[in-house]
Amino acid sequence: MSYEPATATRIKRLLVEKLHLEGMDAASIDDHTPLFGEGLGLDSVDALELVVALEKEFALRIQSHEVGREAFASVATLAAYVESRLATVGDRHAGS
Amino acid sequence: MPGADPGGTTGAKIVVTGLGAITAFGWGVAPLWEGLREGTTAVGPITRFDASLHRTRLAAEVPLALAPHGARRATWADRFAVAAAEEATRQAGLTPAACADAGVYFGSSTGGMLESEAYYATLIGPRARHARPSLLVAQQLNGPGDAVARSLGTSGPVESVSSACASGSMAIGAALRALRRGDVELAIAGGSDSLCQLTYAGFNALRSVDERACRPFRRDRAGLSIGEGAGVLVLESLAHARARGAFPIAVLAGEGEACDAHHMTAPHPEGIGASAAISQALADAETDAAEIDFVNAHGTGTPHNDLAEARAMHRVFGDRTGSIPVTSTKALLGHLLGSAGAVEAVATVLGLVRREVHPMPVAGEPDEAIGLRLVLGRPLALPRAIAALSTSLAFGGANAALVFRCAEAA
Repeated sequence: MSYEPATATRIKRLLVEKLHLEGMDAASIDDHTPLFGEGLGLDSVDALELVVALEKEFALRIQSHEVGREAFASVATLAAYVESRLATVGDRHAGS
Repeated sequence: MPGADPGGTTGAKIVVTGLGAITAFGWGVAPLWEGLREGTTAVGPITRFDASLHRTRLAAEVPLALAPHGARRATWADRFAVAAAEEATRQAGLTPAACADAGVYFGSSTGGMLESEAYYATLIGPRARHARPSLLVAQQLNGPGDAVARSLGTSGPVESVSSACASGSMAIGAALRALRRGDVELAIAGGSDSLCQLTYAGFNALRSVDERACRPFRRDRAGLSIGEGAGVLVLESLAHARARGAFPIAVLAGEGEACDAHHMTAPHPEGIGASAAISQALADAETDAAEIDFVNAHGTGTPHNDLAEARAMHRVFGDRTGSIPVTSTKALLGHLLGSAGAVEAVATVLGLVRREVHPMPVAGEPDEAIGLRLVLGRPLALPRAIAALSTSLAFGGANAALVFRCAEAA
């Protein structure tokens, strides 16, 4: 699983800003901290918010079934997922 | 005789041990009472959203900039509710552990509508896919009550009442009955509503809103003013309060409810549902009409409500009506809709505790046809006040009345 650190940084910024994670700054989030339950403690409503935020930020379309444990496990898995989607022809303009 | 039968048919005596209020006068009961005594209306130009297309551009807004820290994703109605509940439970001396089995009974007419309007505004625009789902998730009317239960960690029942502008009073009535039945030993009861475009546009479309600040019971009254906020009462049996060393502030002696069965928005012109609700509340409180020392009226300032309400009072109080001091909290804070009854219950209890009826602004000639003794300009001292009535007369003809007695009667 590889990804650009810049992608991870953008995702961390989204998490803090769009999900209103109070008392947390982007730099303090570890790439491998679980997003849900233990770790950042996000819930199902956060998952909905996160999908919208990612679609907007990266001009993507994310299908509901993709919001599984695998892609949304951590910042690292999300960054890898986003990059794999951006690499797919046709995705770049799907979210606009 | 009132209070002579503590073990009688109405069951345990239910007392108020905590008060909380968030209003246009500020975040707390202290700024509320200060503002009410001052008697200057909080109704002013609306800033919450663009009202330029409406007939009126006034509202009594809670100063949001002064808000304490709120939970993530909480709507403004939730934040008002939670802040008022935290104030009330703090005053009642309740620890989180003591709240564990409490019931929450809460009124709201629009819940998180303000926030879901922001969601819909995005949804109908060019960036529809960017609408934030959490804004819509928070819309439901049970939001404020649920937020209170989560915040206090109560695991008793959480019931939400949405009977338009009687919601707050009816939630307090639901709590009273639950306590008497023994469903719960402790209840957090009240209501919360925030300004939103739905109600603002709705009351404007109905031409129920005054283009100036509302002037209840005055001859030139031309409608209501819209406000927002939350009111909360901590309620428990006198025995429960004494057992945990809590100080009873007042007695919630009785509640009555009755429907006009008449019209979607207009009250019955003779106020028959209103007088039935008042009579039931007095009977429930084992309080004679002659004992009521002041009335915190529904008093919206619409031509129809105020006249129908006055007729209801004349029917219940007879010859004595013109001598009973009457005030309307809405003259100062506007109409808080689903939380109006809750905040007015707080104002009524404060009046009993301070032995003082808060005034309405002087502006406008009293309506002779109404024939009530209005408290205008400055507070009216009532050193011997023992019992007070608060009324809520809602759309759909949903009427509720609460009777409070001073704590010394407990």
